[in-house]
Amino acid sequence: MERLKNIAGLVLAEARRLGADFAQCTVSEEVKHEFNVDGGRFSLMRTLFDRHVGITVLKAQRKGSVAVNRFDEEAVRAAVADCMAVCESSAPDEAWQFAEGPAHASVRDGAPECDTEQLFARTEELLRDIGSRHPKILVEQMITDHTAEKTVFMNSQDVCYETCGGSYHFSVMYSAHEGEKGSSFFFGDVTLDRLDRPVIDCAFMERDLQSVEKQIDTMPLEGKFVGTAVLAPDALSGTVLSTILGSFVSDGSLMDGSSIWKDRLGSRVASEALTLSMTPRAEYVVGGAHYTSEGYPAEDFDVIRDGVLENFALSQYGANKTGGRRAGNDAWNLTVRPGTESLEKIISGIEQGILVMRFSGGEPAPNGEFSGVAKNSFRIEHGQIREALAETMISGCVPDMLEHIRGISSDVLYDGSNALPYIAFDGVTISGK
Amino acid sequence: MLTDILSGEKGRFPADAHTELRGQLNRQRRVVLLSGNVVGNARSDTSGVSARVFRNGLYGFSSMAEYTQEAARKVLDAASENAAFMAGHVQRPHQVLPAVERGCYMPQTGIHDPAQSLYLDYARALDAYVTEHCPGLISRTIVATEDSMEKLLVTSDGMDAHTILPRSYCYVILTAETPSGVPVELFKAVGGEGTFDQNFRDPAAHYPVIDELYEQLMRKREGVYADAGVRTVILGGMMTGMLSHEAVGHTVEADLVLGGSVAGHCLGRRVASDKVTLTDFANTAFGSRCPLPVFVDDEGTPAVDVPLIENGILTGYMNSRESAEHFGMTPGGNARAWMFSDEPLIRMRNTAVHPGTDTLEDMIASIDDGYYLIDSGNGQADTTGEFMFGVTMGYEIRHGKLGRALLDTTISGVAFDMLKTVDMVSDTVTWSSSGFCGKKQPMPVGMGGPALRCKVMIGGR
Repeated sequence: MERLKNIAGLVLAEARRLGADFAQCTVSEEVKHEFNVDGGRFSLMRTLFDRHVGITVLKAQRKGSVAVNRFDEEAVRAAVADCMAVCESSAPDEAWQFAEGPAHASVRDGAPECDTEQLFARTEELLRDIGSRHPKILVEQMITDHTAEKTVFMNSQDVCYETCGGSYHFSVMYSAHEGEKGSSFFFGDVTLDRLDRPVIDCAFMERDLQSVEKQIDTMPLEGKFVGTAVLAPDALSGTVLSTILGSFVSDGSLMDGSSIWKDRLGSRVASEALTLSMTPRAEYVVGGAHYTSEGYPAEDFDVIRDGVLENFALSQYGANKTGGRRAGNDAWNLTVRPGTESLEKIISGIEQGILVMRFSGGEPAPNGEFSGVAKNSFRIEHGQIREALAETMISGCVPDMLEHIRGISSDVLYDGSNALPYIAFDGVTISGK
Repeated sequence: MLTDILSGEKGRFPADAHTELRGQLNRQRRVVLLSGNVVGNARSDTSGVSARVFRNGLYGFSSMAEYTQEAARKVLDAASENAAFMAGHVQRPHQVLPAVERGCYMPQTGIHDPAQSLYLDYARALDAYVTEHCPGLISRTIVATEDSMEKLLVTSDGMDAHTILPRSYCYVILTAETPSGVPVELFKAVGGEGTFDQNFRDPAAHYPVIDELYEQLMRKREGVYADAGVRTVILGGMMTGMLSHEAVGHTVEADLVLGGSVAGHCLGRRVASDKVTLTDFANTAFGSRCPLPVFVDDEGTPAVDVPLIENGILTGYMNSRESAEHFGMTPGGNARAWMFSDEPLIRMRNTAVHPGTDTLEDMIASIDDGYYLIDSGNGQADTTGEFMFGVTMGYEIRHGKLGRALLDTTISGVAFDMLKTVDMVSDTVTWSSSGFCGKKQPMPVGMGGPALRCKVMIGGR
């Protein structure tokens, strides 16, 4: 850690020497051990020794940023000089603002040391468990790794964070097959800080494998109707939540005025059942951020609380640009408050609809309208899950859907990054051939 | 430019194994103007060395963020240890990679590094033009960017190579509102292979592109929703390129075939109408240099064109050396890595449908009720061949003539079903190359094709 601090100190001193009013740098060192499985067979073991120096400077409110991956003094000094040149080519902007100290912290969390034998054993076990419990499943690709990282974040306003951490990550892409018939692919992802149980028992791994096995035989949906779409966590994140965070409450959409919620702070934007938060400090997040990219301590915050828009996800720069308030963090760790009914109970009350595990769609329009293919999905009729669907599209408008939440499940996916339930939305257009 | 400190390390390659040692430098330059504000102004340089060792049917890999002989020796040792770890834990019969041509490929040109002010000045010039000539916008974004890969590769039993692939682009993104106040957006990328100063000498050369984009946006803001359902459409060349890459190309990457893609059962079968021929081109297509040419891949295999569909029949897969051995095919140079720390994966290069003999005018005139779909914002596809593309610009076709513009919509279908409905193919190919393909690692790729008349499901409101 001392070596990283010395490099960070060199960056700040060199920037000061070259006339910067402000400087900030992130110096990190990373070791990754990784196993790859392709087509159901082990294929590769990878070990990476990586490093990173990220530099930001301000001079007369002009900003420049440079990133390099060399630690030698000559390269670091050259990177600072390059950053100053970038900065001087830029335009002054009074909105740039970074954290002011004193703020010092040293944190050690997660699993900083890799147990390579245990990582291999859990990988092999997961492959074996999938094969024995789900013989129709073919693992297209599995990537399992441990990443250990030491980071020093320092700025010229007496802010310094030292973090030492690590985590295990398991990512599986798979599909189900029988003869020449096959399902759509699906992903399972989980981040862990210890390897104390079989990975198939983590997150929704087992539940999702069972569902995909039932998707070999699919039926195209006939016609078009307006019904209830139950979005599983992955589909929820890829539609409704990404639209809210990307198009309605982000720096870009608020700065350019395209956010349709730009004047809605403090007002109802969703059913009161919905509380959406950004939570890098939640106990179920592994390796969550301790500070923001501008150097402020990371704090969890609610974007929507009981249906009311409480906060935009603004950086300090975005806040200065829009006259708004800086958000507590800029990390993409999402929590949706669970409901009280199980998924099964929610589905039992749906007359006509669809259960969507994965959504494959285009970027939503700035007004929140979206459409795309409902992947890994099932038709719902008279409170029952029916056949798996093929070539079925769903379309809707996120602001309307938020007003028509039928239910939020008590089943919650904890994958080490997010805590997301299923949400049932009324008024979604579901169309087939 | 990378100096060759790797060739001398060949003597340290492990015996009885295939070994690659690669040094690499990736540069990225980026300026972003959002409604005139410089919200992005950044440069990055990432360099290092990696080694990969293939023994007993398994790979060991290691990389280090340092381009020195000492680092090269460390990663060679670590990659060998990883291969040994795998051999000790996984039983696999002995496997030898197919032989490829040996030799040395050297770059024809060098690479230089324009000053950051050039990107900013150019972006400002385009922004000023938009401000002056495009009234009624609610937002405008100009992005000036360059990324480049320089690689120095030495192998135990293939080509040694020094390859350089720079590309640079300007993106213009314009947003207006419909009469009812709903934001609508369009974007255009210009540029291609080459450093920024090579591709962007005179901002005025790109003013006509901005004029056309603005005109399309003004029509789109008055646009209508598509009528949902299975419809006869003309896919413009950009859309055909997206289809070639996303919906067909990925399903015929040999690693995804082994992973269960639909193409595993289709070799030698009809998957498209006989008007469709599709190739993954290495460096030259239809008599011209490809948008992003590849001459040697990162396994040391000389790059050649890989025919995928010939007159509607699926004829081949894209391979690495390992998968080529499995399928009994010839590797064509598709194994590519993004960063020094990435292992080569099977990737497309420049994937395109071949042109036909129809004119676009005749194709439009042939449709009584349908759509002409020009541009796509994004696309995704399944290993089943089921695809979904966002359509950002298109027009109605009524009685053989273009009608009203369309608001954003999507199209979807199953590639090997949809391609069988292709009954007209235009005589002009359009390429795009500004995006990244995502597959564990990003990768710059080219994609293209002519306009196709076909049937596809289009989403409405």
